[in-house]
Amino acid sequence: MSDDQDKVWPTGLTLKEAEEVHSYLIDGTRVFGAIALIAHMLVAISTPWLG
Amino acid sequence: MASFRDIALYRLATITPKYLPFADVATDDVPLSRLLRLSLFQVTVGMALVLLVGTLNRVMIVELSVPATLVAGMLALPLLFAPFRTLIGFKSDTHRSALGWRRAPYIWKGTLYQFGGFAIMPFALLVLSGYGEAIDAPRWIGLSAAALSFLLVGAGVHMVQTVGLALATDLVAEKDHPKVVGLMYVMLLIGMVISALIYGALLTNYTPGRLIQVIQGSAVVTVVLNLTALWKQEARDRNRAREMETAQYEKFSVAWRELTKRPGAVRLLVLIGMGTFGFGMADVLLEPYGGQALGFSVAQTTMLTAILATGTLIGFGFASRALSTGRPPIPLAAIGAAIGIPGFAGIILSSTIVGAPLFVSGIFACGLGAGLFGHATLTATIQNSPAARIGLSLGAWGAVQATCAGLGVLLAGIVRDVIVGKSSTTGLNVQLPYNIVFGIEIAFLVVAIIVALPLLTNSSMRLKGQRDTAPQNNPVEVS
Repeated sequence: MSDDQDKVWPTGLTLKEAEEVHSYLIDGTRVFGAIALIAHMLVAISTPWLG
Repeated sequence: MASFRDIALYRLATITPKYLPFADVATDDVPLSRLLRLSLFQVTVGMALVLLVGTLNRVMIVELSVPATLVAGMLALPLLFAPFRTLIGFKSDTHRSALGWRRAPYIWKGTLYQFGGFAIMPFALLVLSGYGEAIDAPRWIGLSAAALSFLLVGAGVHMVQTVGLALATDLVAEKDHPKVVGLMYVMLLIGMVISALIYGALLTNYTPGRLIQVIQGSAVVTVVLNLTALWKQEARDRNRAREMETAQYEKFSVAWRELTKRPGAVRLLVLIGMGTFGFGMADVLLEPYGGQALGFSVAQTTMLTAILATGTLIGFGFASRALSTGRPPIPLAAIGAAIGIPGFAGIILSSTIVGAPLFVSGIFACGLGAGLFGHATLTATIQNSPAARIGLSLGAWGAVQATCAGLGVLLAGIVRDVIVGKSSTTGLNVQLPYNIVFGIEIAFLVVAIIVALPLLTNSSMRLKGQRDTAPQNNPVEVS
């Protein structure tokens, strides 16, 4: 496991693979964040909670 | 401190691959339970379709009093995205991934869009209808937010369905494709029926809060079902990943031209379009037709939809059985269209002679025909596609199918709302506008059969081993 320089240790994925899995997570977080922002703005328009 | 780090790493390392979302081996034999799990994505697709076309259509017009033309426009937005299915399918065919994945990333992205659209949709609709303080908000906010939410859901559904079907095709052996197609169709139908019942029950007592709960609940259910479907389905494949890194993929336009150059490919797409359009208009019109022209009660008209669905299910079952014994799919599709013609004729005649029994059997025939036709044409699409172009072929199928089905539903809705509304004031025959539409459907089915005729005799549509040849290696197609 540890003789392959490319492999990230605990998972056994290579660096590239780990980065790709991570990119899906980052993508998800971004879309999620944008959606949450829009949803909050829409709710604030119909029922303002900040006065 | 170091020992804590070691312990933590050791714990991480002992997490078995059981908890990771990839299948480590691509087995030749995919068990039914795994296919059933994969087919859950079709349930979410059916759910989204029912919510958009059925439930929200009514809620927006009746409860939120949004103008009907605006509602129709909003619901047509996802249709605009349908042609892009070919592009999505192509991109999934030629995806470069260090994990060797082609389909999973797109199903994940599609799921995100579906979720995102549902998450903002209820608030967008409330703002659009001027609920609460939103009455003072500028109009464009509600309009653009609602349009965005419908576009997101539409885009997500198109992505998930196209790439999900491609993944299912990848997973099973060629001889089992008809069964997988049948399974996918049945799950779509089940998803639509169950979600229609649940939405109907939940939204009987409409409140804005309930609308938010129902739509956002759909968002959560969509994510859960799609992730369950996707989990461990596509193998992590280092060899394929290495091939992907160095592979030279041609452009979309080149791939598209190659696909359409295949014998019968364009004709098959036209056949799918005509038939889908022909069968697609019936769904919306059967219930009001039964109510207005034949005097059925609301409960009885709901039964009509059940009869239609039963016919469709039997059609799927019959097609699955016939096609997995190696029968060619195109003649079966033609038979399906041919069964639909007397079905619609029976529906038309039922308003003048015989009445209910003829009507019900006509509906059953239409369902049966639609089931046979849908199954056979999708199977034909898969069988005629080269293995490296499954995504593109299914994208083309989906683009044509979704566009024509959507146009059919829209047109039927327009007929129902406009012509029926007019005829009640001018004292025209109630069943006349309906019968005109049913007549149009018969015409389209006849055209579909005519389009299919040259394919019936063309036995080269089903060449053994054709799928195994990559398209770049055989520019000249044997016909």
